[in-house]
Amino acid sequence: MTDAKRPQRNKLNEQDAIERAKQGDAGAFELLYDLHKRRVYSLCLRMTGNTASAEDLTQEAFLQLFRKISTFRGESAFSTWLHRMAVNVVLMQLRKKNLPVVPIDETTEGEEEGIIRKELGAPDSRLAGSIDRLHLQRAVDELPPGYRTIFVLHDVEGYEHNEIAEMIGCSIGNSKSQLHKARIKLRDLLRVNRAEKVAKRS
Amino acid sequence: MNCLQFENALPDYLEGDGTSEQRAHLNSCSACSGLLADLNLISSEASSLRELDEPSVRIWNSLEAQLRREGIIKQPARSSQLDFFHRWRTAWLVPVAAALLIAAGIKLYQPAKIGDNQPVVKVITPAVPAAPVVSAEDKAILSTVASRPPAQVAAYRNDLAQANSFIRDAQEAVRNDPNDIYSQQLLMNAYEQKQMVYRLAVDQDNEDEQ
Repeated sequence: MTDAKRPQRNKLNEQDAIERAKQGDAGAFELLYDLHKRRVYSLCLRMTGNTASAEDLTQEAFLQLFRKISTFRGESAFSTWLHRMAVNVVLMQLRKKNLPVVPIDETTEGEEEGIIRKELGAPDSRLAGSIDRLHLQRAVDELPPGYRTIFVLHDVEGYEHNEIAEMIGCSIGNSKSQLHKARIKLRDLLRVNRAEKVAKRS
Repeated sequence: MNCLQFENALPDYLEGDGTSEQRAHLNSCSACSGLLADLNLISSEASSLRELDEPSVRIWNSLEAQLRREGIIKQPARSSQLDFFHRWRTAWLVPVAAALLIAAGIKLYQPAKIGDNQPVVKVITPAVPAAPVVSAEDKAILSTVASRPPAQVAAYRNDLAQANSFIRDAQEAVRNDPNDIYSQQLLMNAYEQKQMVYRLAVDQDNEDEQ
């Protein structure tokens, strides 16, 4: 086989792959999928907390993208386009299942006051400057769906509050305050986890 | 400024809108500076979850099939299965490694031996059948593919052995911690991997007959 006839997969960069995919090239679709599959699947998994749903949504996000790839003109980055599409697919699914996309505020004023009071009585309860990634992943999975959505979109995916507000239909202020509560909840979950670990060792 | 006032203003402070009064409070309050450090840590570590998980290969398989059905992929399907096997074999090293790590981790973190004076608690584990090295079903599948080229037969045999090994490791993890959802998920993944090998053999067999 000559160089010209060898599969082009390894030589293709993303831009070439997009152009080839527009022509229906199977290898180009596969390359685009391979380049972005982990990011999209991880996003779907973090937001749903369910492997089967994450697989379905990953497939749906890529399917929607590939159906529209002929319309991609490169005004924004391909990854930006894909990730936004994946977020929309997940949010639509959450809405279909009547899961809260905007966090349901479940803390009362009294409970909020307790956050600092707990701190005052527990000077050694910090996270000690490091978090195990697996523990963080489990803690995120344990967040209520609404909090999880905001946290994943902002802290994991890097969206700004104005983008999140537009995506999920809430105010920027609401996005900020709910993100704060999500982080506080995560901190509590991680501290419980850390305390259990210490107790096991002693 | 007291701690409660500081915490109420924390979402804005984290966005970079801190006042000198808030900064002064931070300098004098270890509880609030600890809280802030933890929240910043959580936020900075979050991006490590961005590409954490490897999706199952079946997503691409069904996506590709759908793209072909809709005419979006315009090329004929590959006649050889070798590409698939290559992809499959490397992709599932990740869950196999995860299963081994979990099993090793469980062993490392097992509590010290129960003393004579302590009551013995009997742990009831679910009845998970052990996967034999070559089951009757494996033999049937291997006989189905026996007439194919030796390289393909060897690939099927190797993939079956790997699937069985993966199942055994996942079973071990489930036996050690029956309530751990990650071990349960690993076991499900292991069975799905084996199911894929079976399906591939049967599908190819049907294509050959047509």
